[in-house]
Amino acid sequence: MMKMTRFELKKIFSKPVTKIVLILLAVSLCVVSYFAIGYVDYVDENGEKSTGIAAASSLREAKNEWAGYITDDVLQKVLEENALINNSEEYLSTDVIEREKAYSKKQGFSDIREMINWAFGSFQEYNYYRADSVSQEEISSFYDRRTANLAAWLNSDEQESRFSEPERQFLISQYEKLETPFYYEYADGWAALLEYAPTIMMLTVLITGFLVSGIFSDEIQLKADSIFFSARLGRNKAVTAKIKAGFIVVTSVYWSMIFLYSGIVLAVLGTGGANQAIQTSFANWKSFYNITYLQDYLLTVSGGYLGNLFILFLSMLVSAKTRSKALAVTIPFILLFIPSFLSGISVLSEVLALLPDQLLQVCTAIKRFNLYQLGTKVVDAVPIIFAMYFILFCILLPVLYQVYRKTELK
Amino acid sequence: MNLVLDNLTKEFGGFAAVDHINLTMTNGVYGLLGVNGAGKTTLMRMLCTLLKPTSGNIYCNGKDIFQMDGEYRNLLGYLPQDFGFYPEFTVKDYLLYIAAIKGIRPAVAEKRAKELISRVGLTKVTNKKLKKLSGGMKRRAGIAQAMLNNPPILILDEPTAGLDPNERIRFRNLISELSEERLVLLSTHIVSDIEYIANKILMMKDGAIVNEGTLDEMISAMPEKVWECIVPQQSVSALTKRYKVSNMKSEHSGVNLRIISAEKPCETAICVHPSLEDVFLYYFGEKAGDENDTL
Repeated sequence: MMKMTRFELKKIFSKPVTKIVLILLAVSLCVVSYFAIGYVDYVDENGEKSTGIAAASSLREAKNEWAGYITDDVLQKVLEENALINNSEEYLSTDVIEREKAYSKKQGFSDIREMINWAFGSFQEYNYYRADSVSQEEISSFYDRRTANLAAWLNSDEQESRFSEPERQFLISQYEKLETPFYYEYADGWAALLEYAPTIMMLTVLITGFLVSGIFSDEIQLKADSIFFSARLGRNKAVTAKIKAGFIVVTSVYWSMIFLYSGIVLAVLGTGGANQAIQTSFANWKSFYNITYLQDYLLTVSGGYLGNLFILFLSMLVSAKTRSKALAVTIPFILLFIPSFLSGISVLSEVLALLPDQLLQVCTAIKRFNLYQLGTKVVDAVPIIFAMYFILFCILLPVLYQVYRKTELK
Repeated sequence: MNLVLDNLTKEFGGFAAVDHINLTMTNGVYGLLGVNGAGKTTLMRMLCTLLKPTSGNIYCNGKDIFQMDGEYRNLLGYLPQDFGFYPEFTVKDYLLYIAAIKGIRPAVAEKRAKELISRVGLTKVTNKKLKKLSGGMKRRAGIAQAMLNNPPILILDEPTAGLDPNERIRFRNLISELSEERLVLLSTHIVSDIEYIANKILMMKDGAIVNEGTLDEMISAMPEKVWECIVPQQSVSALTKRYKVSNMKSEHSGVNLRIISAEKPCETAICVHPSLEDVFLYYFGEKAGDENDTL
């Protein structure tokens, strides 16, 4: 069996198109890593912006001055520091450079300041200057405001019909379960990594499609099918070897891309902040997933892997059934791009949240409130898509095996 | 080894490509002769379990081949008409891969592949990619793959099609060598191939076996005689319209015609010994071209 699988892999990797695919993967990796690294910037005391290793290091140094639990004392200190800078000449200047100089002094606590903006604004509205008007007395309600804002939003007229009572209770309970005070430190490496993770995953699935879509149909297109299916193991173990080869290709390409991407980004931007709550970041403040950056990353890459497996094995099934590589290679494009076109239609949001493309963007999906009530239990879309596509993938394997082994030559 | 075709039928959308064939084959070389579209490939594909019959059965030593599944395919070597291959594989890789899907242990496969590469004369190109081989070499690699498991049943669909005369003779000899102690079914529309190799000839027309027997039996059973005559150019048209003409050759004294006819076609005609080609024309004349046309 191993020998057959090795030959199946050789068939894939000896094709000239494979070289192009590998180059495309390498280019995608470089481009996405470049953008992710550029996501973190640092403004120095002269108001000049920079990115890269040195910028990440300076930003880390600035932010880690505020490292620790975000207690009332820390929040008060942030307000004090913020007010001090707001009253400085640089901040009050109309010159852009001068204002950048002022911002450079806020960088260390900018994440905490953003949390204050969210906490003291209304749930759906963001006001960058809200923190400037928060008083020292108000700040003690910082953590309570997060839940209070949610409750107010859930009880608003526009949301009344959207969530059932158990769903509201579920959200509030999740918010209340979040451990406070937050621990805070520089975590921009993880934030940048997660920001571009869906892009690298989508590119990986699209490009890998070109590698695996021919595993089954090539026998027919090369007219090698007669010999293949008339061989002793042609309708059993040789089919299994093809499935194994597909699995090995999908798995190795995916994890190579993820490890290289993660390695490059974290090596440049740093690994600090892995164990802090994702709510400490601007983008995840509202998420009801009480997880850390590391857990978010693991969830995201696991979802990406399952999504890759499901989409690419579906592509292989289409290849086995239709005997067309061209049709098979379009499957990942259809599954990834059609939902994007439909995303503007709000009535479809509950359906769209369950499509396989969501597995490739779990870090985004966990920010949304796509709830489903199964009996008395309220479940979010993320665990549903994990379970659903894992089951579907498990069903796909024997279906693919049976479809291909029963192939009749015309 | 014994293969029994019992009322075997394959229909495609109501059209019977193979029509109620009853046939028993034992060890020996069977030449399956028929024009294009006679159903030869469909019959062979059923014998290789690549197509399921619409009705009827195929038994190998008394067992249904579709129920035997891998056990039957273990007895089988097949060289299809459109022999596809993996262009980036070397000859050695290709044979080792086919050996793997035939369930041959790697150590045995290495030895067997080496032996067959030498036997089919591909030793010098063992490590050359298949896409770089000539048509004849690819065919030889094809026969080598069919022989990897030393199959008691060897099915060769148009094995010499597209080969130059040298390669064809070489290939024919190779098949003869390999055909000992096994059941070989060889399909072709090149009559001379069958004449040289086959012990028994099966003539297939419109999905049915219309005649079967040894070369001598076929020839002696032909109801009409074969005549040769030299006639003036102006008589040719009239004769070709009236008789099946199996050969026509211009000579300075006139045109030498080979005619299949129960009666003497002209005064100067001499009765000659028929060949398989004459038998073929007798049965498939209509298919070979317009009625009363030459080959």
